[in-house]
Amino acid sequence: MRSIPLLYEEFEDFWQVAQKRHVIFFYTGYFSQHVVAAISETIRARLDTAGAAGPTRRRIFSAFVEMSQNIMHYSSEALTPPVERDQQMRRGSFCIGNRDEHFYLLSANPVLTANVESIRERLEPLRTMTVDEIKSAYKKALREPAPEDSKGAGLGFLTMAREASEPLEFEFVPAPNDPDTTIFCIKAII
Amino acid sequence: MEPLYIAASPASPEVDFRFAEHMLSLKGESYPENAAAFYGPVIERLRAYLAACSEVTITVNVSLAYFNSSSTKMLFALFEALNDAASSNSVVLNWYRDEEDDTIQEFGEELRDDFPALEFNDRPI
Repeated sequence: MRSIPLLYEEFEDFWQVAQKRHVIFFYTGYFSQHVVAAISETIRARLDTAGAAGPTRRRIFSAFVEMSQNIMHYSSEALTPPVERDQQMRRGSFCIGNRDEHFYLLSANPVLTANVESIRERLEPLRTMTVDEIKSAYKKALREPAPEDSKGAGLGFLTMAREASEPLEFEFVPAPNDPDTTIFCIKAII
Repeated sequence: MEPLYIAASPASPEVDFRFAEHMLSLKGESYPENAAAFYGPVIERLRAYLAACSEVTITVNVSLAYFNSSSTKMLFALFEALNDAASSNSVVLNWYRDEEDDTIQEFGEELRDDFPALEFNDRPI
């Protein structure tokens, strides 16, 4: 009989941390298109009950899709072979929470250390752009051919920046015991 | 020409292109894993149809509640094909959207600015 409270305690620790940080959704594991579609359904239901206004819900949902598809396309830890372009399953973490008047979205995934600089070069300029500059950069990118290394359209980070109410925050953390791998974290405040 | 019909999925829209009636419709949400793979064949069929059109009125009804960044890029290419065809045809684009959705409204405005040959009707609901 003792095993039930002990198991519950394990969850309790986790829930308390999640509650303290006002986490309304958290997932860590492999991201595939099916997982993204299933999380979409859950997030929409959670945002309805969390009382987010229509435009805010839409912005959160849009930033979520861009972040999760980024993990699905670019995480360096894949279950699927690298040559396979479709039905990808790649590893990462994603979280939505609220703090004060805002919602925040946080995602993390391993990337090749060799790619860190090119990611930084794409993100850094967005941090100092005004809303209008982000919009016009988005319009420009929409009309340009997609970059060679992009499976999306080169519009993912710009879309996240457009949905956010503050500059995107990002960070690169060395992966333990593997110099070729770096953990890429990005945060959008909506 | 055979119609093109693709049923909606949770992450891809219904495509209902009735070429014989010159009625084209896109409806639902669009965030497929690979937007180029989804829209590539659709745009190819559309171009083949448009190449055979002359002096007809084509009605395009678009009712997309959400589309991700890579779909946006492909949709832009699709409307570009329609705009090119509008020099020798009349192309009406009915842009249905949630009246609160400023992103879809703004994308509609982009289309109106970039593709002036289309008869663009903003249809907030």
